[in-house]
This record gives sequence, C-alpha cells and structure tokens, in this order.
Amino acid sequence: MKFKQLGIFSKASVIWLGIVMFMVVFGQWIPLPKPTNFDIDAMGVGLFDSLKHPLGTDSNGYDLLSNVIRGARPSMLISLISVGIGGLIGSTLGIISAYKRGKLDYIVNTLFNIVLSVPALVLGLALVAVLATNPDPNIEVPTSRRVIVIILSLTIVIIPILGRIARGATLSWSNREFVVAARSMGMKDSQIIMKHIVPNVLPAIYAVAFLAIGVVIVVEGSLSLLGVGIVDGVSWGSMIARVRGDLEYAPHSMIVPVVVLALTVIACNQLGDVLRSQLDSREGRL
Amino acid sequence: MSSLLSLSNLRITFDTPRGQLAAVRGVDLEILAGESLGVVGESGSGKTVLSRASMGLLTMSTAHRSGTVVFDGQDLSTASREAVRDTWGTGMAMIFQDPMTALNPVRRIGSQLSEGLRVRLGMSRKEAKKRSIELLQLVRIPDPEKALRKFPNQLSGGMRQRVMIAIALACNPKLLFADEPTTALDVTVQAQILQLLSDLRQELDMSMVLVTHDLGVVAGHTDKIAVMYAGEVVEYAETKELFANVRMPYTEALLNSIPRLDQKSSGRMAVIEGRLPDPTQPEPGCAFASRCPYVQEKCQVEHPELQKADNGHQFRCHFPLGVAR
Repeated sequence: MKFKQLGIFSKASVIWLGIVMFMVVFGQWIPLPKPTNFDIDAMGVGLFDSLKHPLGTDSNGYDLLSNVIRGARPSMLISLISVGIGGLIGSTLGIISAYKRGKLDYIVNTLFNIVLSVPALVLGLALVAVLATNPDPNIEVPTSRRVIVIILSLTIVIIPILGRIARGATLSWSNREFVVAARSMGMKDSQIIMKHIVPNVLPAIYAVAFLAIGVVIVVEGSLSLLGVGIVDGVSWGSMIARVRGDLEYAPHSMIVPVVVLALTVIACNQLGDVLRSQLDSREGRL
Repeated sequence: MSSLLSLSNLRITFDTPRGQLAAVRGVDLEILAGESLGVVGESGSGKTVLSRASMGLLTMSTAHRSGTVVFDGQDLSTASREAVRDTWGTGMAMIFQDPMTALNPVRRIGSQLSEGLRVRLGMSRKEAKKRSIELLQLVRIPDPEKALRKFPNQLSGGMRQRVMIAIALACNPKLLFADEPTTALDVTVQAQILQLLSDLRQELDMSMVLVTHDLGVVAGHTDKIAVMYAGEVVEYAETKELFANVRMPYTEALLNSIPRLDQKSSGRMAVIEGRLPDPTQPEPGCAFASRCPYVQEKCQVEHPELQKADNGHQFRCHFPLGVAR
C-alpha cells in the first residue's frame, strides 16, 4: 500500500500523526516562547490574534502553541509505551493460551475478564492513590514515579484488550488445516506459533493496537483532568484540566488542546482501520 | 516385503455431549514397504480419523486411542511425543484434502516448502532453496523459481495441491498418507494429480495410503483396497481380486452407485438407501444390516467377524456374495 493510494482521510491522518511525532521528537527545539513563561502583556489572546502567539494564550498568558507541542511528548510516549508493553504481554498470553487450550486457556481468559470488568479510570485512580501518593501531603511525589504508575495502570488496561483479540484470532487460525499440516511435517509447537500463527494474528493485533493508542490517550487525559495525571500540566489532558475554569472567558485555551487530542485519536482510529483492511485482505486478494 | 505400518485393534473414540463416539472400531491393517493401499468408504465411515490416528495427529483431549500402531519397527502407541514427532515428515507425511486451507495464506510457497527441509533436515537456506526447486520440478510445476515467490492465493487449485504434495515429499517420507487429495479439485485435474502420485510413488519407492470415497479413484492407482464402513474394515483384498469377486454387500452397493454412461439418464441414480448408524449407539448386529438388501435375521443380532479367504480376501459378512446362501 502506497501513500498515494490512501483515501483523503487516511492521508490527512498520516500527515497529522507525522506532525505529532515531529512534535514528540523535535518539539523542544522549535523556536517558540517557552511553554513555562507567561507573557504578562498578552493574557487571554485569542486564536490567530497575534503573530507572537499564533494559537493565542490562556488567561495566565501561557503560549498555547508551545504548550501543545510540549504536551505531545508525555501524551504520546505514555500511550505508545503502555500499548507496546501491554500489547506484547497481552498478545503473548493470548496466543499461547489459545494455542495450548485447556486449563491454561481457562485461567488466562478468566484473568482477562476480571481485569476487563474494572473500568480503566477506576483502576488508574486506585493505582495512583496507592502507589503514587505520600501520606504526608507536604512531601511531593516525584513526577517520574507518577508517570511510571500511570504507564503501569494503562498497561494493565491494555493487556486484556489486546490479549483477547490475539486469543480469538489464534483460536480460529490454529484450527486451520495448515497448522495440522505443519505438525504432520514434524514442526515443534513453538515453531508453529512463530511461523504460522503469529503472521496471521498480527494484522488483527496491529489494528486494535492503533485503536488502543487512541483509547489510552483519552484515558490519560481523563486521569489528568481528575487531577491524578501528570501534575505539572504538561500533557494534553492536564492542559485541559488546568484551563477548565477559564471556559467562560477564554474558551479557545481549552478548544486548542481538545482539538489536538481529538484529531490524534481520530487519526489513530482511521489508520487502524486502514491497516486492518489492508493486512487482512491478502487471503482474498487475487 | 517387510511390514512398514501395522495397526492392530485400533480404536478411536471421541467424547461428545451425546456420549462416546466410536469413530474407528477395532481396525487391523498392514501396509508393506512399497505398497499402496486404498481406503474407501462413505463420509463418516472413519477414513480420515483412521489416517490421522495412525500418524498420531489426533491430539485433542477428547480423542482416545487404544490398540497399537507399529511404524517401521517402532511402537508409536507407547513412544514419547518427541519420538512420534521425529517420524513425522521423514517417516510419515500427509497430503491434506483441501489445498486452500492446508497452506498458510500469508506466507510464500518457498518459505513453506523450505520450512520442513530446514527444520527437519537441517539444511542451509541455500540448500533448502535448491531442493525446493527440485521438489517443485518433481511435482511438475512450471517455472519453479517464480512459483517459490508466490503466495498460495496466486496459484490454481491443482497447483496448490502439487505444492502440498511437494511439501509432504520434502523430507523423503517412507509412507505417504493422501487424505482425499483430489476431492477439492475438478475431474481433469484429479486425474493428473492421481497419476502424479502414482508416478512419484514408484520413482521414490514410497508406500502410500490413499483415502477416498471414490472407488474409481483407487481402482487404477492402488495395490490393495480396504473398504471401511462405520469405523470398521468390512472388506480387504488386492485391487483386482476385490473388483472381480466382491464379497461384501456394502462394496457392491458402493460399486452400483457409481453413475454409468450406459444408464438411462432420465432414471433415478442408484443410491444406498438409509444412513450410517449412529456412532454413539453401538448395535449388536452388523452395522450395515439396516441398509443391506440381503439382510437376514442373523445379521440383526450377531456382529460378523472378519473372515479370511485363502487368497487374502477378507470380508465382514455372515452371508457373503458369490457364496451359496
């Protein structure tokens, strides 16, 4: 699949995610007002009102564009890391349990169901409350610890989602005759899983992983909005949380991070769909 | 000739919600080195289960096997999983019914073909590629180098079945199970594939078990024929002897149900009325009794034993055909 063959929405999604990844990698070197400096002469500047602040400032005079760019890194990294680790663990568990069947499958599937029954936000709140708070409110919990706990809780949320997809796909593929054929040639189970099951299951996992990135960005934002995210207001979610009191006077200061977050989620979903339809159709494409 | 595979009193049962399903009920068979055996029977008579069980491929927890399987002097029913696996590919190999589902759709022919060579024979990438090309030439695939880079969906049904045969032959098996190798193909391709299997068997000096529901398929391509019905061998003889002196009413019914050109095309096709007995409900008498045109009282109550004539012709019938009754 070449870029040219993509539809207009998919093209826009690729471009948008490219911009976001550029912000993640090179964001800090873009010559813009420092996101932590407030401009006392330009508080609450509207969208496109000033050349110095292209996306305006919030009611405290923080430049929105530079904040959005700085926010890309924690938002994207947290979701990429947790989907990556969670996806790896989840699909490994799902594939092995579905291939082996029996007791192992029963146990793994039950665990998946238990974790799935806990809402992501509740799990995140509970973990942050237990692992990333200090009984003495005067002692600040280091940000890195919070980030790790948030990644941990999001990883736990992702494991059963991707695990069940991998399990379902493996169940149907491992019943195919080519698995029996491979066994009849004397292949070991591990070789069959790596060479015959995984290549067939991957498309489904990729597609859902992309959707999951979108979900995780939203959950991370919601955690920040509830005040248990990253405290310094650096991610998109915590930007929204910080300005929610200004919705009346400076609505654009909330609209900017919300639109950026929404576009990223939509782009992830779009590409997940494209990826699945592309990778899935090889069997039928003549 | 020495015995290559011998099954004795092989029974396969499956646990089902309706009780124990006896798919294979006490089969004794012997396959000599270099010999080809046709296993014939209608759907559900246990042909496929028999061939998979002889290889040991039935590993689901609901399948139970009793009896012994001796392959090349080694008792597979008591051997370890690893020892059984070592016989797969190099000792016994199988060609599957539907070449569409038996090939992995997302991997190229070349990598699927060289897989067995590299894993089982420890060949290098280069050697495996060379051998893959030879194998594809052996199964008469034109332009083998190009075919190696194709995906299964880019080949026709006949070509796919040839690839399956090449994969099965990759590690020079002594015994090849062909489980309805032509059922998914059209008639002209069927003839080609059968001829190919016959030729290859003689070229490579293999034994072959050809499983099919079509007596016409086995007629020209096997040395011996075993007819199966309801999980039992009901008639077993050399191919010529079987067609010349049918003893078992079921075999006769099978032969009669082959459509003929000299029949009136307007008439009803000859069929065997009724259906297979329920494999979860064993009956005391002959399994074919309810459908047999020659049925007598004894058939309903007493299970016939396998009788052996002097020329090796075996049949399971109280009142065999061609004998005064």
